[in-house]
Amino acid sequence: METVLKCENLSKKFGKRLILKDVSLELKKGDILGFIGPNGAGKTTTIKLILGLQGITSGTVYINGYDVQKNFTKAIEKVGAIVENPDMYMYLTGYENLKLVANLYKNVDKKRIDEVVKLVKLENRINDKVSKYSLGMRQRLGIAQAILHKPSLLILDEPTNGLDPEGIKEMRELLVELAQKEGMAILISSHNLAELDSFCNKICIIKNGQIIETSEISEMKNASHKNIHIFEVDNSEKAGKVIEEAVIISKTEFKVETEKENVPEIVNKLVKNAIKIYEIKEEQKSLEDAFLEKTGGNVID
Amino acid sequence: MISLIKNELTKIFKKKTIYITFLVVLAFIIFSNCMTKYVTNSYSSYYRYSEETIKSMESTLETLDPNKASDNTMYIGIKSELDTAKLTNKYPENSWQIQIIYNKISPLINEKNTYEYGVNKDETKAQEMQAQIDELQQKLDNDDWKYFANEDLETANQTLSNLKEQRNNTEDKQLIKDLEIQIKQAEISKEVAEYRINQEIKYGNDYLNQALEAYQSYSITVAELEQNLDSLTYNEKQQYNQSLKYVEENRYILENKVDINKSDDLRGILENFMNQYSLFIIVIVVMIAGTIVSEEFNKGTIKLLLIKPYSRKKILLAKFLTTLIIIVFTIITILVMQLIVGGIMFGFDSLSIPMVEYNFNTNAIQEINVFAYLGLQILTQLPIIILLGTLAFALSTIFNNSALAITISLLGFMSASIINQIAITFNVQILKYFVTMNWDLSQYLFGALPMMPNMTMLSSIVICIIYFLIMMIVAFIVFKKKNIKNI
Repeated sequence: METVLKCENLSKKFGKRLILKDVSLELKKGDILGFIGPNGAGKTTTIKLILGLQGITSGTVYINGYDVQKNFTKAIEKVGAIVENPDMYMYLTGYENLKLVANLYKNVDKKRIDEVVKLVKLENRINDKVSKYSLGMRQRLGIAQAILHKPSLLILDEPTNGLDPEGIKEMRELLVELAQKEGMAILISSHNLAELDSFCNKICIIKNGQIIETSEISEMKNASHKNIHIFEVDNSEKAGKVIEEAVIISKTEFKVETEKENVPEIVNKLVKNAIKIYEIKEEQKSLEDAFLEKTGGNVID
Repeated sequence: MISLIKNELTKIFKKKTIYITFLVVLAFIIFSNCMTKYVTNSYSSYYRYSEETIKSMESTLETLDPNKASDNTMYIGIKSELDTAKLTNKYPENSWQIQIIYNKISPLINEKNTYEYGVNKDETKAQEMQAQIDELQQKLDNDDWKYFANEDLETANQTLSNLKEQRNNTEDKQLIKDLEIQIKQAEISKEVAEYRINQEIKYGNDYLNQALEAYQSYSITVAELEQNLDSLTYNEKQQYNQSLKYVEENRYILENKVDINKSDDLRGILENFMNQYSLFIIVIVVMIAGTIVSEEFNKGTIKLLLIKPYSRKKILLAKFLTTLIIIVFTIITILVMQLIVGGIMFGFDSLSIPMVEYNFNTNAIQEINVFAYLGLQILTQLPIIILLGTLAFALSTIFNNSALAITISLLGFMSASIINQIAITFNVQILKYFVTMNWDLSQYLFGALPMMPNMTMLSSIVICIIYFLIMMIVAFIVFKKKNIKNI
């Protein structure tokens, strides 16, 4: 798979303050990278460095093989982005906003605009002034202007802000579709891990300007092998005496945190002591739990 | 690049503000054209008194007692003015008689009243004066303006022969020099009086009489200054040139019987187009130039623009070129609005009369087509508009603050005349290199003397270009290096 975005040891200083330190990222075609961190961790700054909106103190950014600092126009040609808020010209209609963007790229015709409008489900309101849009509609218009020229890299800064759960779900489906069908690499930042859980294939955690974890989602979830198993039995008190690690939840339930391989042995012990087992279930660890385990703190400061 | 400029124009012309501004300008144009048509009377140097003024003078007079020493002078003054006023009101507005009453009869009335009410009363003299006044009034009633013209000629002839006699009888060099000037003045008066009689130019508010009188007074100034032409100060030289120009222009009016100074027609309005509308043009241009960059920063849309496949240099250049297009657009729009409004109100006939300028290079009167003249005026004053637009543009790029950019640019425009005045009055040589002294190239038109000595059109253009480049270079560097902070 070809690499679309490659950041190497990005650092950014404002005066003497080091905002970012040695941030490295890599995105391949079709990747959806969840860029996660608390507010003020440096997510937006990283994005601005990638897009050339701020000067890079040290490090390099390559987009499709072009260095952003040396060959900006080539590098940025196949990038679409929303930075911070979906800022649009409020006094223009949605369509006029898209037309302004279309004018600046070669191969965006009227058909493509209509196609994108349909894709983000704005066809009924596209001729209204943006000032009449809700934040959610502006987010969708922001995505529309970002994907108009079929970029190979799509960067979305907190795109779920202002969306209702239904809207978030729709956006997820849209992004997955874009990644799979058009092969876009998508970088999506958020401070809300639960939103990205279900559809990112990579995760990158940033805190205080430093990347503290980069991994595939599946890897991360399985990173710790000890899972929680909940046993439903006829007498949990009796079971508690037999199994040393058991934590009694109720009269009929207790839980054990252990590796999967140990489960048969526990069952064996219970059977030997004539304790009836009705159900054993493994509690799924969420990305958020895994994340908390990694950072040892709250995601949302 | 063209797409960038197209987008910028779209952004500007989709805003309501620009249309509102132009509507306000249109309203002003209509208003000022109405004022020109219905209110200002460009020729009235000599008015009649209104009824109210006469009444108020009468009531003042009643409170005064001519026999009291303290009131006496005031009584005579007001009484004479009242008599003059009543006399003028016997004749129609703008008639030639009114001027004669003011210039020739009013002093007689004053004299008569002094004999009648003054401290040293003299009944017989007062009656003599009254008879004289009555005789002159007879001439007024008979429309006999030639009597006064002949009297003028006679006076001039008499003065001339007196002066010549005096000159022949003296050896004093200084006195001869003074007499020479006075002789010249008398000769000019004689020439004017003869011309008046030959050409039958009546007194009063008629443009030919105005031209004739202006010709007389400026000719005298020219004659005075010509005495020591080599030792004139720069200021006097400018005055000399100005007077010479007026002499020749008024001569043109008299010879061609064309009123080139008429201001209440379309041609007259267009002659003053830049004077009248440059403020509007500059306000609109500065308003757009001062927001074209900073507004994108304030609204956050600059991020959209900067992640498009164009270098920052190109993006800023596109915005500047858009500003230049707006300058041209604004001038043309206001000109067209004025042409239409003025055409409806005054008709287009006056446009066939050429503009007349005295050319100091050829020392001759030059006739120019109205539109060529207008184009020349606009072109030579374009540096003012471009430089102020660039100032607003650069400030808005550097500080991202529209209010600051617009305010400073407009203040710059308004203080320019004060700065220039200081430079000229106190002869501050260093200000010769300051931009406000140089940005109005119309000062060089037709070989006229510039505001200060040793200024040339070329040096002015170079200075304007230097100022322009400094502003642009700073703006481009700042824009290129700018970090897009959180908004």
